[in-house]
Amino acid sequence: MDIKLAGRIDSDNAAAVEKQIFSQLADGKEARLDASDLTYISSAGLRVLLRVSKAHPDMRIVNVGSDVYEILEMTGFTEIMKVEKVYQTVSIDGCEEVGRGANGTIYRLDKDTVVKVYRNPDALPEIQNEREMAKLALILGVPTAISYAVVRVGSGYGAVFELLDASSFSKIIAQQPDKFDWCVREYAGMLKKIHEIEVPKGRLTDVQADMLERAQFIQPYLPEASGKKLLSLIEKVPHENFLIHGDYHPKNLELQNGEVLLIDMDTLGAGNPIFEFGSIFNAFIGFSELDHAVFLAFQGFSFETGYAFWRKALAAYLGTDCKSKIDELETKASILGYMRLLRRAILRGETETEQGKTAFDYRRRKLIERLDAVDSLSISENELTVGASLRNLAEVQQFIGERLSSIRCPSKTQMQTALVVEEVFVNVAEYAYEPDKGRVTVCVDVAKDPAVLTLTFIDSGRPFDPLQKTDPDVTLSAEQRDIGGLGIFLTKKLMDDVRYEYRDGQNVLTLTKNL
Amino acid sequence: MNRFPVIDLHMHTAVSDGTDSPAELLARVKEAGIAYFSVTDHDALRACAEIASLLGPDDPRFISGAEFSCRDALGKYHILGYRYDPGAEPIRAVIETGHRYRLKKLRQRLDFLYTELHMPFSEEDERALFALPNPGKPHIANLMVRYGYAPDRNAAIRDYLDLLEIPDDYVQPEEAIRGILGAGGIPVLAHPCYGDGDQLILGGELDERVRRLIGYGLEGLEAFYSGFSEKLRREVLALADRYGLYVTAGSDYHGGNKMIRLADTGLSADAPAPEGLRRFLADAFKTQEA
Repeated sequence: MDIKLAGRIDSDNAAAVEKQIFSQLADGKEARLDASDLTYISSAGLRVLLRVSKAHPDMRIVNVGSDVYEILEMTGFTEIMKVEKVYQTVSIDGCEEVGRGANGTIYRLDKDTVVKVYRNPDALPEIQNEREMAKLALILGVPTAISYAVVRVGSGYGAVFELLDASSFSKIIAQQPDKFDWCVREYAGMLKKIHEIEVPKGRLTDVQADMLERAQFIQPYLPEASGKKLLSLIEKVPHENFLIHGDYHPKNLELQNGEVLLIDMDTLGAGNPIFEFGSIFNAFIGFSELDHAVFLAFQGFSFETGYAFWRKALAAYLGTDCKSKIDELETKASILGYMRLLRRAILRGETETEQGKTAFDYRRRKLIERLDAVDSLSISENELTVGASLRNLAEVQQFIGERLSSIRCPSKTQMQTALVVEEVFVNVAEYAYEPDKGRVTVCVDVAKDPAVLTLTFIDSGRPFDPLQKTDPDVTLSAEQRDIGGLGIFLTKKLMDDVRYEYRDGQNVLTLTKNL
Repeated sequence: MNRFPVIDLHMHTAVSDGTDSPAELLARVKEAGIAYFSVTDHDALRACAEIASLLGPDDPRFISGAEFSCRDALGKYHILGYRYDPGAEPIRAVIETGHRYRLKKLRQRLDFLYTELHMPFSEEDERALFALPNPGKPHIANLMVRYGYAPDRNAAIRDYLDLLEIPDDYVQPEEAIRGILGAGGIPVLAHPCYGDGDQLILGGELDERVRRLIGYGLEGLEAFYSGFSEKLRREVLALADRYGLYVTAGSDYHGGNKMIRLADTGLSADAPAPEGLRRFLADAFKTQEA
């Protein structure tokens, strides 16, 4: 039972209070002092607490009001004994929901403050953890809000933040359609910024390890080949230590006084940026593609608007309008997204219901299908993978053109490159695979100093070295010439170096040009 | 490793508001393994003379001490005096001034109880009060409880005695410091963060207070004190460092009246002792030997 401290403890009653505490502690009980009704403590009272804590080092003072807490903190007593504040109680009845994270929901209390209510009833360690995360994010350069008080909400806890007159991106998208493109730009820009921040080693969860665990979890629910592929895809993602937000959707971006803040730091991690996209895919598509009303209820705007936002955000993030490139990232994101949703459904026992089972089977089918469609999860601005079909030539040209424009490559070189790309791509599309089968990956790399452009074409088709072809006799008339050889001849003429290699079951053709 | 000796330079006997006789206290000091000590009764020197007469050659090292309750327009203070000459006129004068004020206040309080609250005491009991070496509110309160005027001592003080405000007539900190210095002693501010024992004085306020007392001749701060947290200790040590003051360590042991253990000062035997404390021990204890 707690020992109650009430009213004031000062020199008038300190001795009496002390005697009373010690008499109640006589039989080795836990020393828990309840300060709910304690209004003031003088230094004579502090000395009583100090003596009790010396005799009972496990002593705890609980429900300490802010006035008394201030005295204990000011005098350093909070450092030498366990002191737990009493938390102000806050009601969220009728408050607008302004955000939602993995472990809590954010409500606006008034125009200056919001409270994040944690789902876990004993969330004090989580609150402390998220505070540390937010501080770290701020130090690393992410504009965010840090909680300044902990309150009681119902039977749980909440963290109070200052968020002056802020509007979430969801609200802006729903209410101001003309700001849609601005939101996309800011959303993608912030994401790129986060993904360029290196996290000091060991400070945050390794997202890759976390994803591997998830993959292992759902492996038994997938065909053997798909399960293995999922694991190997995740394992093969290059290990990086970039900041990952983990729950990056428009409700977690707030516009405050013209500044964009990212909130909800409870899922921060470190890893390769690709791992961010699984949860984003789910926020826009995965959770709600079978029931668009779910999306509307969560974000406040339609699923279709959300899908358009997602596509435009990917384009802005990748810096390309190339559809194949955006599709590719969407496919990779969906693999991580479906994987998470399947695990979640299993953990929550959702497959017990008819509806849950249908959703599970749908997502499982999608995951298997998508796994078949990719060879890696990596995303690179400089890499594009498309079906090895002539239909995709325009895409490839657009992609390479955008890359070259972005480095201000002279237009003559761009033209020559386009010619070469056409020759090589057509070659692969026509000879590497059966018609409309297989994929080809195109990489564009530009080295500075000396400036060298490197184009790499990779396909998994039948081994074929185009360089083995003898150069055509250009003195012959058009009718007499060998058709295929001319393209390779041109390529060799226009580039400074062309190399072929058959490696790990892949044809790798590398073309370099000094700029 | 040289362990730092156990020190306690702040304790009370029954001569003021402790419960041990000087001889009992000496026995406890030895039992606690204290190597350097002083007895600091409130406004009284008698216990020190008695302890000095009891000490043998192998006993802990001892210096005379006293604690003066002072007040001026800016606050309340407890000033410790160490290693003074107990026969010197200046310190006796402070004690006498204090005693005179105390007797005057006793008279005022008894008059107040009699005329305003109709709580008379017998002549014999009053005479006994005046004969006490250090009579104060607690003694009157005890009597009130005995007469049935109040249920307990705290109620007697809170509900009756504190109704009478006696503003002036306190020993000034400057008087106490000059008296100690005049008797060849070392004036030290007791529990600096706690004022007269029940206040909280920190930061700029504490700094200002210490600087003012240095102006009167203050030479040391009691940084190690049973009621201090590490943070308070650090704050006082920083001030001692800044102004080049002595540092002392005291428990404020009061026998059975307060649950303070002897030698509980926060001073660790293993941590390096601050320079101001080493200097105090060297200066205060050496001179007396000579």
